[in-house]
Amino acid sequence: MSKKQADITDEALLGQKQKHHAIIRNLMPLFGLIGIVVIFSILTGGKIIDPNNISLMLSQVYVLMISSMGVFMIMTVGGLDFSQGSILGLTSIVFCWVSQSNIVLGVLAAVAAGAAMGAFNGFFHVKFKIASFIVTICTMYFFRGLCKYITTNGPVPASLNVIALNETWFKVLLTLVVLAIGFFFIHFTRLGYDLRAIGAGETAARFSGSRPDLVKFSVYMAAGAITGFASFINVIKVGSITGTAGTQLETQILISLVLGGMPISGGAKARFSNIIIGTLTYCVLEKSLPMVFPISATQQLVKGIIFLAVVALTIDRESLRVIK
Amino acid sequence: MSEIILRSEKVNKHFGITHAVKDVSLEFESGEIHGLIGENGSGKSTFCSMLCGIYPVSSGKFFLEGKELKVRTQVDANHQGVSIVVQEMGTLPGLSVAENIFLGEEERFMHGPVKDSAAMNREAQALLDKYGFKFIRAESMIENYSFEVRKLVEIVKATYFGPKVVVIDETTTALSQAGREALFRVMDAIKKQGNLVIFISHDLDEVLEHTDRISVLRDGELMGTVKSGSVSVDELKLMMVGRELDKHYYRTDYGEPISDEVVLEVKNLSVPGEIDNISFSLHKGEILGFGGLSECGMHEVGKAIFGGSFDRKGTVTLRDGLDGSSEGIAINSIPKAIKHGVAYASKDRDNESVVLADSILDNICLPSLDDLANHGLLNNGTLRRFAQKYAELMSVKMRDIDQYVSDLSGGNKQKVVLARWLGKDSDILVLDSPTRGIDVKVKADIYNLMSELKKKGKSIIMISEELLELLGMSDRILIMKDGKINGEFLRSPELDEKDLIAKMI
Repeated sequence: MSKKQADITDEALLGQKQKHHAIIRNLMPLFGLIGIVVIFSILTGGKIIDPNNISLMLSQVYVLMISSMGVFMIMTVGGLDFSQGSILGLTSIVFCWVSQSNIVLGVLAAVAAGAAMGAFNGFFHVKFKIASFIVTICTMYFFRGLCKYITTNGPVPASLNVIALNETWFKVLLTLVVLAIGFFFIHFTRLGYDLRAIGAGETAARFSGSRPDLVKFSVYMAAGAITGFASFINVIKVGSITGTAGTQLETQILISLVLGGMPISGGAKARFSNIIIGTLTYCVLEKSLPMVFPISATQQLVKGIIFLAVVALTIDRESLRVIK
Repeated sequence: MSEIILRSEKVNKHFGITHAVKDVSLEFESGEIHGLIGENGSGKSTFCSMLCGIYPVSSGKFFLEGKELKVRTQVDANHQGVSIVVQEMGTLPGLSVAENIFLGEEERFMHGPVKDSAAMNREAQALLDKYGFKFIRAESMIENYSFEVRKLVEIVKATYFGPKVVVIDETTTALSQAGREALFRVMDAIKKQGNLVIFISHDLDEVLEHTDRISVLRDGELMGTVKSGSVSVDELKLMMVGRELDKHYYRTDYGEPISDEVVLEVKNLSVPGEIDNISFSLHKGEILGFGGLSECGMHEVGKAIFGGSFDRKGTVTLRDGLDGSSEGIAINSIPKAIKHGVAYASKDRDNESVVLADSILDNICLPSLDDLANHGLLNNGTLRRFAQKYAELMSVKMRDIDQYVSDLSGGNKQKVVLARWLGKDSDILVLDSPTRGIDVKVKADIYNLMSELKKKGKSIIMISEELLELLGMSDRILIMKDGKINGEFLRSPELDEKDLIAKMI
């Protein structure tokens, strides 16, 4: 009898232990963000938490955070997207054109154009069963090519009324609205459950009533549309669009999500907080490094090392071990 | 008395704080087939894994022919004369059959840095022919073959070099009748050479028939060793679970008429290469059994009814009541099947029934998400209560509903599968191999649940390779052969396995 009791306590103990580990794992990225803010505050003598610098830092985060939300959904179902930067460039151009007549129409046009580009990605991925990173690397070149072609004769300017919207509160508001909508869909509709289940095991999800092909296609389209919306804020910030607008956005998104604790293989361990913590961590690092290492020649090098160190310290290895 | 070939002395295994094997001291004689039985998690596979160098021992020793046996890896164990056919997939994809057979023995075929593939293939083919597996080609890639054929390759791999001890771990469930017979021939040959076979299986009749002695483990402890001729299946079960099993292991009722009410009608169902023009109907409150050899197509029937087959032809129609002329609802996709109360538990539990890398909560709620939503909105609290309720109803052994299904044992995974369909309140349950690889206790739970569902007027299609299960549980049995229905039997106490087998082959 006593043996049986001992077994039960053992099991309960093990369960508690696992649970505590899981909680700590989920908090690691947050500790990472706090740690980085503290370290760089000390290294820069408090300069990075200066209000001016914070608003500068935030001005970077809007586009990244919004676009990351789309890629978050893509990564949750187990995909990747390298075409986001090119989509941002192209949708920014669309917005600039249409904004000349009407800004609201411009936003709608950019969202529609983004959705079309995302649908293009999704179509080739789902219909032709090509791995998502291959499809999106191809479309990254393709969309970028279009961007460069359109801007051959010079940058595409936006309507001057757009630049007048460059107010921090406005951009914060837009970002919060988009995040709230995303949060709502992921937590209060079946979308979130479908995304996690498909990412964790597509066949089993199909046999549980999810529609993997439809969901994947929709998610690519949604990610394109979301980045289309982000192009509005992008244009507010920069005023006119050159052929290189948005380059590197895709890598910034990916590294942000990983910094935020997003499992690379997607699945049930993806958390909405990954988006927010990840993009904030990225922007703090991005802005603080030049203050500490002023020589631009070594910045990339230092950046690479720091990113690797942060990821190595905070990443959840358990989720990498999950066999799919 | 014959001599002791293998002996274990107070062998222990700890996984973290789990004590999987406790002080097991056992003696094995040369020239015997020794059965090792116990429920899931009783430590039989762990014990043998330590013997074969898959896990290191925590404490204790093994002695082979009087000398202490110390193995670090499986290849090392092979060299010392100990081999194993593992429960899971033991062959490596990406290699040929011959390369799998001679894994770890490549040295023999090396001329300097160059491998003599031709010689390796020749030798492997000779072995395959000798075992009577002429249809397996040594030079083919292993993934060209089915799970069953790969198991046969594993048997060759584990036994060709004349090891002194061979462990066969739960292999027969993956094999058809012909495969099993081939395996038993191999086991007998090993025995005749004066060597030892340790045979692990959940099928107690099979164990009784083919072993000389049987050792029983429970919760990692040795309960005793008995002579196979001197015990019955019930006595073995008693040793395994430590209590009298419910007498009603299968249903005991006979002669109850099946309702006339047709709930599901299948017409001219075909899936290329799998099933060929099958028609049948399922009645309200009926348990309809499907039997046959593992490749006869019956597993695909379940998938096809559920709308999960690719390239399906024919119709699956839900009938509402007696009126056969009513239109009915055509089931042609999984979401539609689920929506209209058709449930499916696949034979391939880990890939098709549960999302392994996801929580019990998500797994139970997934098919019912649309029902749980209020104007399309889901409330986390509602979902948690729902999952908790049905996990408890099925008494799933778990930490909490946030635990991942991948942490659970086979029996508990199956309970999660059943919990989700109970939650969905499905009227038609298609259960493919519902008790495959599951211990007696959970098996009895599943049979009881099936009887209860039947009483409530739910209809069940049970696809099974276990003939006794079909005979014991079904109101009607359809036997399939080569993708077609080849025989139909009504429930009767006189019906026995031979009647079914006659239609299978």
